[in-house]
Amino acid sequence: MDFGQFILMRHELLLILAAVIVLIAELAVSESSKARIIPFALGLFALVTIAGFIPGETGTLFGGSYQSNELTTMMKNVLNMGVLIIFLQSESWLKKPENVDKASEYFVLTLATLVGMNYMISAGDFLIFYVGLETATIPIAGLAAFDKLKSRSAEAGIKLILSSALSSGILLFGLSMIYGATGSIYFADVLKNVSATPLIIMGFIFFVAGMGFKISLVPFHFWTADVYEGAPIGVTSYLSVVSKGAAVFIFTIVLFTVFRPIMEQWQHLIYTLAVMTMTLANLFALRQDNLKRFLAFSSIAQAGFILLGILGANGMGMASVVYFVLVYVFTNLGAFGVVAAVSAASGVETISGYNGLYKTNPKLSLLMTLSLFSLAGIPPVAGFFGKFFLFTSAAGSGYFILVLIAVLNATISLYYYLRVVKAMFIDANEDPAPTFRSSNAMRLGLIMCLAGMFIIGFASTIFDYLRNISDVLFN
Amino acid sequence: MNVVMFYLLSAIILIFSLLSITTRKILRAAVYLLFVLVATSGFYFLLNYEFMAAVQLTLYAGGIVVLIIFSILLTSHISHKFKHPALLNLLMGAGVAVIGAGVALYIIFNEKFTANGQPELPVDMTAIGTQLLSTEKNGYVLPFELISVLLLAAIIAAIVIAKKGKQEEKES
Amino acid sequence: MIQGIPIYHFLVVSTLMFFIGVCGFIIRRNLITMLMAVELILNSVNINFVVFNRYLYPDQLQGHFFSLFIVGIAAAEAAVAIALIINIYRRINNIEVENVNEMKF
Repeated sequence: MDFGQFILMRHELLLILAAVIVLIAELAVSESSKARIIPFALGLFALVTIAGFIPGETGTLFGGSYQSNELTTMMKNVLNMGVLIIFLQSESWLKKPENVDKASEYFVLTLATLVGMNYMISAGDFLIFYVGLETATIPIAGLAAFDKLKSRSAEAGIKLILSSALSSGILLFGLSMIYGATGSIYFADVLKNVSATPLIIMGFIFFVAGMGFKISLVPFHFWTADVYEGAPIGVTSYLSVVSKGAAVFIFTIVLFTVFRPIMEQWQHLIYTLAVMTMTLANLFALRQDNLKRFLAFSSIAQAGFILLGILGANGMGMASVVYFVLVYVFTNLGAFGVVAAVSAASGVETISGYNGLYKTNPKLSLLMTLSLFSLAGIPPVAGFFGKFFLFTSAAGSGYFILVLIAVLNATISLYYYLRVVKAMFIDANEDPAPTFRSSNAMRLGLIMCLAGMFIIGFASTIFDYLRNISDVLFN
Repeated sequence: MNVVMFYLLSAIILIFSLLSITTRKILRAAVYLLFVLVATSGFYFLLNYEFMAAVQLTLYAGGIVVLIIFSILLTSHISHKFKHPALLNLLMGAGVAVIGAGVALYIIFNEKFTANGQPELPVDMTAIGTQLLSTEKNGYVLPFELISVLLLAAIIAAIVIAKKGKQEEKES
Repeated sequence: MIQGIPIYHFLVVSTLMFFIGVCGFIIRRNLITMLMAVELILNSVNINFVVFNRYLYPDQLQGHFFSLFIVGIAAAEAAVAIALIINIYRRINNIEVENVNEMKF
């Protein structure tokens, strides 16, 4: 094999290189100036993110184990942007004296999981897919347990790793059945031999159950709220945006390519999961007061909406899923960023604690409002277009009742998103969170979210581009 | 002889895996798990996958179980007995397992498995070594390299979990 | 392939073992025993892969290698999980799930 072909794996190799550089730089800085590693790693990762956008070759490597095309490149760029924003938002948290010793480990672990996600998205066989999936999950348990001062954090870690181990066990059982029935672990060969026999359907159901844990669809969501609440905010936003986004991407790709011959069967399954996920997550979200738990259930509900795009099962469906995740990265990180900023400054993490926030921190309140509007899908911001395309895709495939249910759920979700807005703007509070000024990195992260929400919403070329590159899966 | 061995090993696996999830003493559970894992490596010997069997013995039986026993000795009293599991959990677990196993076995027994009839690839160390480092189809160098990233990250994760911050050191 | 033993018998053992593992995960209330249940599940998956490989598709070693990688990853997973369990123990001197604050599975 020609080493020049390694340029196809540029995203992954750049990330590994960045992780190694951060590890070595850690050795070079003295004990007392550990904080210097933070801006260095931030700058390095910004370079990696920009380099990812340079157009380059695509193709397959390792006899089909690794495949890249414009779509996967785009997905990796979306994830990179999300991680960049999370790094910016975590900067002030990392600078705290209890965390600064472990700052370089934070970066290395995040980059290593990102490498896993990238390989997972580019997988051409189930082995790479599985190794990538585990690389993307196991180190996050270490990140979730990052906060040494809170025992909640360690519990979030153990809960994450035990439920992810169970889910990968279930997923693997399904994969073993599919291997037994089709005789291969390569996507291309499995595609040739998949048919709707009971054994394959059973394997497929186990596969979906295992992925359901990772994406936190409803019967398999039990770990989500506790882990999101216990983990540090930077890690929670990483879990709910980047990790979930990557799992959604590969799930969609596998459903659309490998399991295309049994599409009729999986559409029934996804339909049921979509209805359950949207409805139940909304009902749970109504009752939450802790903002992290609230955002956890809101992100479960959003995953339910994503399934609508998957049901479309054509180029439009794929494009709408990628577009929605792109919007979701900026929107949800906007909300998490505000929560992180307020929590870092005043330690408040409950909805009632946000009463009267507008009086003291008007800019943050406005950004939070816009993010929540975008999550709810209210027109001026990008979230509306995200949901609109998902619904169009599902309706285009004839799922009118499901779209009706989804619209009803979107209306319910409006109620609980507005609860937070009401707390910030209307509810009086004698002792609101004090006025504060966030660090520059945090401000930059928040501004990027704000800009993303508007630019993606108004630049229709982005969706057109996604629509064009999505057809690559279907020929 | 092989047939007898197979049924013996199967009996060991099933009995001890049941015992290991029902026994009320934690150290016994770990030892039963060890029996299950060793018997599984017997399966691999039966199937002529000697390398896989050796890996199973060294990594699973030798590595993971020892790790688990260490952690048991660090965290539990040996004489400690578990409470009986809550009835609801017991019913739910048993229900899921019985129904799931029933459906899965029904499907498996209704499936006609046919071998693809290709000539057998001899499984010796040469073949395994070549395939593990091959970059062609049916080569596994990419997952092999990727798992090294995973192992590095897992080590760092374990360090992060165990590392004491400066503040904690002052406190303790 | 072994003379006289149909593939179904292997699959019965592995399937039962899988569901014993799932059952154990649900009924056990101790973090270490839950981890052990997961090891049972992964082990049953390994048997599946190896048996399918040997009986049905012996011309390639795909199932064999898949199990090898599963064993390696299971070891990493167990190591991180045990690090976390010991960390929790140092904090609250207990690893029963009920005593782990808020952590209801």
